Amino acid sequence: MKKILQLTLGIITSVGGFLEIGSVTTSVQAGAQFGYKLLWPIFFGTICLVFLIEMSGRLAAVSKHTIVDAMRERFGFPFFFMVLVGITIVAFLVLIAELGGIGFALQILTGIGFPWWALPVSLAVWLLMWKGSFSLIENGASFLGLITISFVVAAIKLHPDWSGVASGLLPRMPQTDKARYGFLTVSILGATISPYLMYFYSSGAIEEKWDRSYIMMNRIIAGFGMFFGGFLAMAVLIAAALALQPRGIQVDTFPQAALLMTTALPKWGFYFFAFSMLFACFGAALEFSLAIAYFFAQGFGWSWSEDLEPSKDSRFAFVYTLIILLAAVPLMLHVDPVQVTMISMALTSATLPLAIVPFLFLMNDPIYLDKHRNGWLSNSIVMIVIVISFVLAIISIPLQLIGG
Amino acid sequence: MGRVSGLVMQLGENTQPHVTHILVGGPTLWERVHPALARLSIRLAKLWGPKRDEPVKIPWSRVITVGKDVKLDVKAKDTGALDWEIWVARHIIERIPGGGSEEEE
Amino acid sequence: MDVNVELLLGRKVVDVNGDKVGRIEELRAEEDGDRCRVEAYLVGTSALVERLSAWTLVRPIKRTLRSRHVYSVFEVPWQEMDLSDPKKPKLRVAKGDLRHAR
Repeated sequence: MKKILQLTLGIITSVGGFLEIGSVTTSVQAGAQFGYKLLWPIFFGTICLVFLIEMSGRLAAVSKHTIVDAMRERFGFPFFFMVLVGITIVAFLVLIAELGGIGFALQILTGIGFPWWALPVSLAVWLLMWKGSFSLIENGASFLGLITISFVVAAIKLHPDWSGVASGLLPRMPQTDKARYGFLTVSILGATISPYLMYFYSSGAIEEKWDRSYIMMNRIIAGFGMFFGGFLAMAVLIAAALALQPRGIQVDTFPQAALLMTTALPKWGFYFFAFSMLFACFGAALEFSLAIAYFFAQGFGWSWSEDLEPSKDSRFAFVYTLIILLAAVPLMLHVDPVQVTMISMALTSATLPLAIVPFLFLMNDPIYLDKHRNGWLSNSIVMIVIVISFVLAIISIPLQLIGG
Repeated sequence: MGRVSGLVMQLGENTQPHVTHILVGGPTLWERVHPALARLSIRLAKLWGPKRDEPVKIPWSRVITVGKDVKLDVKAKDTGALDWEIWVARHIIERIPGGGSEEEE
Repeated sequence: MDVNVELLLGRKVVDVNGDKVGRIEELRAEEDGDRCRVEAYLVGTSALVERLSAWTLVRPIKRTLRSRHVYSVFEVPWQEMDLSDPKKPKLRVAKGDLRHAR
């Protein structure tokens, strides 16, 4: 029975993954410009993610090692170090964007500009990592993240044409703006299939001391968690399609995105939007800071756990402290979080193969998984993701330059 | 307590070589990426952090099992593998409120 | 003489006649009470595979390549390896006398 409470790990992973500033920005833009036509990358990305997250959890539960542990052990230090550098740079950019997202939310609530919020927000995130246990972070962020269900409410209130929605789940090229369509497709796939979620989830599974008895529950948590997030992202797109597309509103600035909520819920929509972004980006900031610190600690073999007080895992604590404080700096210098978001999404796509290819080997390794290795279906999905990741890696940066 | 970064092997003239020590951390790790990084790590270690001349060497006799993990019959603190951890704890973490103390109660 | 094992990995090996054999890929060792004796060295013949596996990403694929005879690995018992200069490993036998690893 207690195991079902672990659903929160799935929720925080996906809220941090699907509803962070990058995903929301692209979903809103996609809906505003192309209506329902870009639902399919969200849907497809979600399915891929369900499999990838399930595998991440299974690896941790069966081998009691995280993905990063296994990667260092099986592929050696030089490879780990190369991935570490790539992952850290990109995750750091995402972190800046998420702190910016929190800052934007506070800006539209209070009128005080986001550069002023950068440091307080960064300290708030830090404090939670410093003093909080993993359960507190996991459950707290998930619970607060539930406010994003208001996006679903808004989407339904706008009376979507459900047959239109259904057809949007299948890929179809539009007649015009093909480059922009391609760019948004790539952005959505890149924002959805995020390797950081895998690292975070497998670390979370170890924090929660999962063992083989969790194999079944892991499937449920991964499936439910990722569909929860994917569903919410689709709701954002649908709401944007209904509220913004008919009026031809292209979303250029963050406050404009709030329109997707205020159209459906005139009185409270604004607050729901602001607080949803606030809590979702907060969860994402936690997730990404921890993902970076976990990566360092696990690869180098340091002690790590949110349940330990910082002096007992000092190098791990040092990494997340340093990183969250550094992330505030560009924002204080008025760097635009939306620009950082776009760049970080393109780079995530460009570095995706680095994360997924070794993962394929690990999930078939008998030493770590014995009889719980991947079956043909899981392996096929991973191979499809690998192909996609290479395609994304090659085209994401050029597309960003053309269609962005 | 850390990760194996290398092994030390003893070679004899006509005797069978054997693995004598496990290495943990240290510049040996960086050596495998690029020798320049190893030199850099040595220089940085001289500037700050715990003063260590040699990488952490653990005699093979202290190895209990080798599987997914290597189990040792030593106390981590005694080996010096945690020197950096303790240094960061004392000099950085404990200076921040709420950091706690790395000493056992 | 003490030597770091990872400095041996990847080193080119020549046989007693000076012919190139391949590179040291692995060591086979046996635990014997308190000691860990090196029984044999695995020497692989494909430079390309060896170069890639210097990053050890290719190790899992190697087994498949080996079974399909795309490249071969020799098992060199410790007595047949001369490491008086660890940077230049030499065999004490000729290449043709080497046994394939299973």
